[in-house]
Amino acid sequence: MELNTRVTGITGKNVQQAQFWKRLKKQKTLHLFVGLGMIFLLIFAYTPMFGIIMAFKNYSISTGIKGIFTSEWVGLKHFDEFVNDYQFGTIVRNTLALSFLKVIFAFPAPILLAILLNEVKNMRFKRFVQTISYLPHFISWVVVVGIAFTFLSADIGMVNKALLGLGMIDKPLDILTNPQYFWGLAVGSAVWKEMGWWTIIFLAAIAGINPALYEAAQIDGAGRLARIRHITFPGMKGTIVVVLILTIGSILGGGLVGSNFEQAFLFGNSINNPTSEIVQTYAFKVGLRDGRFSYAAAIDLVQSVISVILIFSSNYIAKRTSGSSLF
Amino acid sequence: MLLSQNQKDRMMNAWIYALLFIMMLSMLYPFYYVLILSFNKGTDSLLGGVYFWPRTFTFENYAQFLDDPHWYRAFLVTIVRTLAGAALGVLFTCLVAYGLSHRDLMFRRSYFTIIIFAMYFSGGLIPYYVVLRSVGLLNTFGVYVIPSMLSTFFLLIAISFFREIPGELKESAHMDGASELVIFYRIILPVSMPLIATMSLFMGVGQWNSWLDSAYFVQSEGLRTLAFRMMEVINKSNAPMDAIAVANSASAGVTSYSLQVAAMVVSIAPIVCVYPFLQRFFIQGIMLGSVKG
Repeated sequence: MELNTRVTGITGKNVQQAQFWKRLKKQKTLHLFVGLGMIFLLIFAYTPMFGIIMAFKNYSISTGIKGIFTSEWVGLKHFDEFVNDYQFGTIVRNTLALSFLKVIFAFPAPILLAILLNEVKNMRFKRFVQTISYLPHFISWVVVVGIAFTFLSADIGMVNKALLGLGMIDKPLDILTNPQYFWGLAVGSAVWKEMGWWTIIFLAAIAGINPALYEAAQIDGAGRLARIRHITFPGMKGTIVVVLILTIGSILGGGLVGSNFEQAFLFGNSINNPTSEIVQTYAFKVGLRDGRFSYAAAIDLVQSVISVILIFSSNYIAKRTSGSSLF
Repeated sequence: MLLSQNQKDRMMNAWIYALLFIMMLSMLYPFYYVLILSFNKGTDSLLGGVYFWPRTFTFENYAQFLDDPHWYRAFLVTIVRTLAGAALGVLFTCLVAYGLSHRDLMFRRSYFTIIIFAMYFSGGLIPYYVVLRSVGLLNTFGVYVIPSMLSTFFLLIAISFFREIPGELKESAHMDGASELVIFYRIILPVSMPLIATMSLFMGVGQWNSWLDSAYFVQSEGLRTLAFRMMEVINKSNAPMDAIAVANSASAGVTSYSLQVAAMVVSIAPIVCVYPFLQRFFIQGIMLGSVKG
């Protein structure tokens, strides 16, 4: 096959073209398979990307998909409106706070768990703990919030009932409705849900460490903590950096450390609104509920642009400081 | 006091085991607690104090759950979308991946560029909604299964999986005059069970748990999913002072709270039952994906 194309390259364009069609004909079924996939992506991934321009227009849903292109331009009007929205400051603060708190608290949790698990020599126990630890990953946020409700609700929650029963508090803690508690609730539930899942990747990184290093360190008299510090941890560093970049890139969405939107939407209520309203829930409310499509698209776009900037800058910083990077 | 190396080691072991044990308990107990609550009489649960065993054992919650046409219907919709969604998703993703796994495929680079770009960038919720509306998927069952038919993440995993299959298998089938579709169906799929198991689990769990699409894209009551119904109940009872309303709605000892707990068990149970068996597959799958990343 390869020889053929090389020869035809010399003998002339017509032959080359004939070869091209012959090859294409031979592969036609394969191109049909792939083509179906491409059509799918065109409809469900690329058309929405072009739809971003509606953020700069006055789009009306009644005009359908055509309207994205035909509606009038209004430039940055919607962005301007968003920045001047009376809720803008609170929403942005909540989004950033939730995201960064999660990186600080939810990101190290799987690393710690992986190190702890690595120290367990009993394989059965280790596997059992692992299996249990990533079970919550497979449960939907709805159920996680439901579970949180059965434990924390002021009226029927088990924690409050137990604490009251023991006389440790005199009135129930309104964890689910007090704005003060929302960030802690979100971070805590994210740790509970996703910690075990991400240990899979860190344990794999540890498995890649040469066992001879441990033996050598032991002979040199390094204790267990010393071995963790000087062998296990450095061995995971590359993976940690890559996962951290990924985390920061998807930080506004909550990404690897638990969906911000689902948490804010499900844990959120009219009372904890001052700390639970984030960019995404707000975009959802003004967009799909109030029908202000262009305005919501503009809010969405702001968030995506910030995410792209975050992933590129964290990648750049990681490359400069540690040598590991995503791209 | 100086401890010997051996003693220090044992101390540390004790700490590690204790920490892991506590963590394990904190993950297991909530599931157990929900389970026992679902078997406890609803009005009794509101009094509190049920920790380790149902106090007044009853099947009433589950009976009520299956009696209520809303919950029942949602349960059915969820089962159908899970089976259909996973089957369609696995088949279609594998079919496209099979085409792309051929190293001599023409325009390969262009195809891959299109896929990778689609993986990293998205138009956001609002334009996506407009597209779904334009293709007539809003408010139909199709909105659950059609847009999730192709997963770019699993597409890449499947491509690298198919490349590991020895070419001789395909060639010999070619000699016998089999078409690509026959080769895909009769040869590629049967030897790809680990891949298919992983994809089925993830797509199935995704479908089973999904409530966002039900909230965004569907208005028809008959198409609501189990997760969506639960979200509704939780949202309602999450509002303060609602416990009184919850207690008032009690009939035959069942409260909306105990009904919700039963629904939660119904929604968790299939996952808990299936996933331990598929575990060894999906760890391979995830690792493959992260290496390619």
